[in-house]
Amino acid sequence: MVVAASPRRKRVDDGVVTVGRSKAGTVVANAIGVIFSVLMLFPVYWVLNTAFKPADEVLALTPTFWPEHPTFANFTSAFKAPLFLQDMLNGLIVTVLAVAGALVVGFLAALAIARFSFYGRKAIILVVLAVQLVPFLALLIPLFLMLQTASLTNSLIGVSITYLVLILPYTVWTLRGFISGIPRELDEAALIDGCTRAQVFWRIILPLTGPGLVATSVYGFIQAWNEFIIINTLNSPAKQNLMAWLLQNQTTRGTAWGPLMAGAIITSIPVVVFFLLIQRNIATGLTAGAVKG
Amino acid sequence: MRHGKYPFIIGFLVVPVALYATFVVAAYLQTFQLSLTSWSGLGKIDYIGFDNFVKLWHDDVFWKSIKHNLFLLILLPIITIVIALVFAFLLNVGGGHKGGQTRGVWGSKVYRIIFFFPQLLALAIVAVIFGRVFGPDKSGMLNGLFPASWKPWLFLADERYAMACILIVLIWQAVGFYVVLFSAGMGSISTDIYEAAALDGATRITLFFRITVPLLWSTIQVAWVYLGIAAFDAFALVNIMTVDRGGPNGASSVLSLMIYRNAFDFSQAGYACALGVVLFFLTLTFAALTLRVTRRESVEA
Repeated sequence: MVVAASPRRKRVDDGVVTVGRSKAGTVVANAIGVIFSVLMLFPVYWVLNTAFKPADEVLALTPTFWPEHPTFANFTSAFKAPLFLQDMLNGLIVTVLAVAGALVVGFLAALAIARFSFYGRKAIILVVLAVQLVPFLALLIPLFLMLQTASLTNSLIGVSITYLVLILPYTVWTLRGFISGIPRELDEAALIDGCTRAQVFWRIILPLTGPGLVATSVYGFIQAWNEFIIINTLNSPAKQNLMAWLLQNQTTRGTAWGPLMAGAIITSIPVVVFFLLIQRNIATGLTAGAVKG
Repeated sequence: MRHGKYPFIIGFLVVPVALYATFVVAAYLQTFQLSLTSWSGLGKIDYIGFDNFVKLWHDDVFWKSIKHNLFLLILLPIITIVIALVFAFLLNVGGGHKGGQTRGVWGSKVYRIIFFFPQLLALAIVAVIFGRVFGPDKSGMLNGLFPASWKPWLFLADERYAMACILIVLIWQAVGFYVVLFSAGMGSISTDIYEAAALDGATRITLFFRITVPLLWSTIQVAWVYLGIAAFDAFALVNIMTVDRGGPNGASSVLSLMIYRNAFDFSQAGYACALGVVLFFLTLTFAALTLRVTRRESVEA
């Protein structure tokens, strides 16, 4: 969201330029915006609407746009549903492990790519990019076999490693960009002052990459938290996450839409919160990225 | 910075390289290998040469799936990119030009968040939501909104419209991200260019086609590749939303769904791997072709 924010100005018609811009055009543009926003939001609104309705209103033949007797019953019944809390915890563990692992591995790899020139560097960059193109689904069978041989199916560790691999390319790529943005002169100055190279990485580059680490970890969190195909294939229901839980309950519970939608809302909350965080952090990240002399 | 760099390089790269060697490279090699077998997923592995691929060639569902993937491959990028471009344009320069400032339409910050919202929802949740939207009886959202006298539309349960419903959901989910992507690109186009063109009497539409689109071409190209890859996948939505997973009567089957079902439901792991090989080459061909065909002289800003 690096859009040049135009400073808020008073709407003064100082007669400067409005060449080729009709008032009618502006009205049409705004109207399109509003209509499209409604289309984008309506399904989300419907989820909220359903989640707060008691069961009889959900199934009413003439649906209402507002719950007449709003209730939290759907939320409590989602929390009490079998495996809900268990799967929430699983999702959290798997996500945290994968993101933490990807940050460590990704930061070091990005350092190597950004700060050293060596034989095979181009090839590594190319592979990192290409991996994002290939369809992951075709890898599900060999993946299953490999993890089975290592007795890592139906385990949170196996899934964590898989997620790590999944979010690593983005992590490496983004951090590489951040590290390249740090002037090499800083490294050299520190080396002259008697730092070892390891100290340069630890004390200079790592802190300056901070905003990049935040941005990539949020992205990684969203990816891992929202994933369900892999965890659903590798693990049994007691070792799955909330996405998989949601799907299971969609089929087994039939028409219990209220609790299901409440579950969907609870499941989405972490991601929405992180999105709001990333927005602020990207802004500070951009200003903090400038190294002051 | 020359002395003793190799210990660092090797130390830093050994883990990621090892991970990719096993999880991606070795895994793909294994997919290729298994595609030549009649393996069920358990027990003995027998090599049968290219029989799986011959079987594919005569498989109706396979051709239906290819057709559906192509349907998505053509329509998903075009529609999404057009909508996203128009909105990014509205948000950034559509509000007219006053007091020496080019700006977006009123409320553009709010729109940006609204459009991005679907991107935050997991595909699993999106699929569940749209299952409600397209509910085939009066309790479905759309059918509920239709006049009471109408017969409920079947949507996903109708062979003719099942794929169109999937397409709509994919677009709904994708648009926000591309609005943000294009907005970022437009932010880097100097406003001087717009000012100059506006002074020369260019209308919004001229600005859009003569300035925005050419200057954003490389971003559009990237968007095209990403959306194309999404069109090749589409597994999550089809798997969750469609009737009988890929139905009715194969009307919404896609390649990725065939892979999954053959591997984990029909015990035909060998056949699934053959499908995986096909999908692999289709995706790479598509990416290479897109980058080649859409290449054009970059416009100097």
